[in-house]
Amino acid sequence: MNLLEIENLHVSAQGKEILKGLSLVIRAGEVHAIMGPNGSGKSTLSYTLAGREGYEITAGRILYRGEDLTPLAPEERAAKRIFLALQYPVEIPGVTTMNFLKAALNAQRRARGEGEFDALSVLRLVRETAAGLNIPEEMLRRALNVGFSGGEKKRLEILQMALFEPSLAILDETDSGLDIDALKLVADGVNRLCAPDRAMLVITHYQRLLNYIVPDRVHVMTDGRIAAEGGRELAQELEAKGYAGFVRDAA
Amino acid sequence: MTMRAVQSVFPERFVSEPAALRSRAAWLEERRTRAMRAFQSGGVPHRRVEEWKYSDLRSAIEAERAEAGEVIVLPSRDPFAAIAGPRLVVRDGSFDLPPTSHPDNAEILDLASLDDNAPEWVSRNFGCVLKSGMGQASLALMRGGAAIRIGRGAEARLHLRFLQNIETVHSRVLIVIEESASLLLLESHAGARGVANLGLEILLRPNARMTHVRLADPAPDAVMVEEIGVAVARDARYKAHFPQAGAKLSRLELAVKLEAEGAEAAVDGGGVLGGRLHADITTHIEHAAGHTTSTQLIKYVAGGHSRAVYQGRISVHKGADGSDSRQTAKAILTGERAEADLKPELEILADDVKCAHGAAVGDLDADSLFYLRARGIPEPEARELLIRAFLEEVVAQISEEDARAIVWNFIENNLPKALDEVA
Repeated sequence: MNLLEIENLHVSAQGKEILKGLSLVIRAGEVHAIMGPNGSGKSTLSYTLAGREGYEITAGRILYRGEDLTPLAPEERAAKRIFLALQYPVEIPGVTTMNFLKAALNAQRRARGEGEFDALSVLRLVRETAAGLNIPEEMLRRALNVGFSGGEKKRLEILQMALFEPSLAILDETDSGLDIDALKLVADGVNRLCAPDRAMLVITHYQRLLNYIVPDRVHVMTDGRIAAEGGRELAQELEAKGYAGFVRDAA
Repeated sequence: MTMRAVQSVFPERFVSEPAALRSRAAWLEERRTRAMRAFQSGGVPHRRVEEWKYSDLRSAIEAERAEAGEVIVLPSRDPFAAIAGPRLVVRDGSFDLPPTSHPDNAEILDLASLDDNAPEWVSRNFGCVLKSGMGQASLALMRGGAAIRIGRGAEARLHLRFLQNIETVHSRVLIVIEESASLLLLESHAGARGVANLGLEILLRPNARMTHVRLADPAPDAVMVEEIGVAVARDARYKAHFPQAGAKLSRLELAVKLEAEGAEAAVDGGGVLGGRLHADITTHIEHAAGHTTSTQLIKYVAGGHSRAVYQGRISVHKGADGSDSRQTAKAILTGERAEADLKPELEILADDVKCAHGAAVGDLDADSLFYLRARGIPEPEARELLIRAFLEEVVAQISEEDARAIVWNFIENNLPKALDEVA
């Protein structure tokens, strides 16, 4: 089944066209990687998929499980199990990580018409999941992302992904700023979540992460379009040749 | 001083009924006569007076009340009820302490009972610290109040509770904290929608400490002015927490004089406003000596048609080198018709000083709002969460855990006010 179908997507932000006819199909159970240089529109794609305000779709469409995604607010997409792991998770003082997780988890459940978890069930669930990701309990008592290292912030993103059990997980440059140990930990978390009913879209500038998360398909993005597609060997080719060749090819 | 003459000069509602105190202390009456003269020259301040530009007291007092005549008494639940300690009550401007509940480590006097044999710590200081216009009015027109002294080296915790069931109240409190003594003052207010004008004078002797937590939740059509004058001696520290709930007009004016080296003042405040509420924090911190420190942190969230005001003047006197003053004021507007007026003012006459200040009015952070929504939290809930996060920094300044929890609860209860008109 096609989980996500993007057809000829054109998106403008602040009056400037950034995505210029992007098409992409992801089936359940697949891991796709999008690689591209800075400014190619990778983050615009992830924000558009998550429904951020200020990204205007001027042409094309996005179907998620066959349903048009574009009229849905970010929170509605989250409730429909679309998850975006951000490159720069925001810091929110005054809200403990645990309380935030509880609020988010229950808001999603509410929106799906499922019963809310009580405090104890959330605590137990979060603790169990966190332990598997090497996240100390002390981190959960701190304010959300405040004073967390880059690696801690990314681990917390992976923890959320594990808790929310998304059908479509988009990881936007989750590898940026991570040392090799943190990278392995993040990749391990992602790999453990791979499942036949779940798809992953891994957006990255570097091939490095793809040593640990092995994609089914690799797409090269330049100037708001997919310039090339292939299997996992494409990532290695990119590493050797750089993006320059693809930019020329696309022109 | 005849009350009839007074009434012809001020709006009728400005003068309390029953009438002001007539003290047996000649020195006090003399000071009050002088205060009356000083106040009469300017009268009740209004918006054409620069310092009252954003808080038009005269028209707030003169304006027709919604339901004239009747005074609604609010439930007088004490927000600090859970915290132990002796409770001093000023009821309708008069001191109301049952004689048996005098705490051991504090001397407490009823201002109405003063005579010419008043102790020196009162007669020397009362009416001498607070010099502002409305401070003159509270001295001249007061019905009474309390004088409190914490003896040398003592540690005290006091509740100071103001109750108001009459239309207009002027009242005064004097607090003297002797050398190396410390006081935690939990000030609260409960009352009718009326006019209140309170004057507090606080003296901290060398190495004294005071933490002042004030919670006021006046009726939405109340007019409330509180002026606080603080003199801080060498190595003494005054720390104040002023969360605001707003009123028809609510003005908290704080004048602090850091008199000698090592003196310190730390003030924080702000809160959540909505509807047509108004809250004004006006401060004047004087660094009169070198190596003095002041910090201020004010944060408001204003929704509906509310108005949040902060005016913060810092004066560093000539020769007050090594002074360090920090001032931060921020406001988030959640209502399109809400207004925030943040006005920092610096007068620096010394050469070698550190002075950091910033003021900003804005909206909630778009990145944070998106982050929360993308994790499934609906927009109104996400906004509320971010408003809490914004205000948490202010509450976090309170080091007394139980008081902090009470203030946080107070702010949380006010949160819906700012969110009412978001949609």
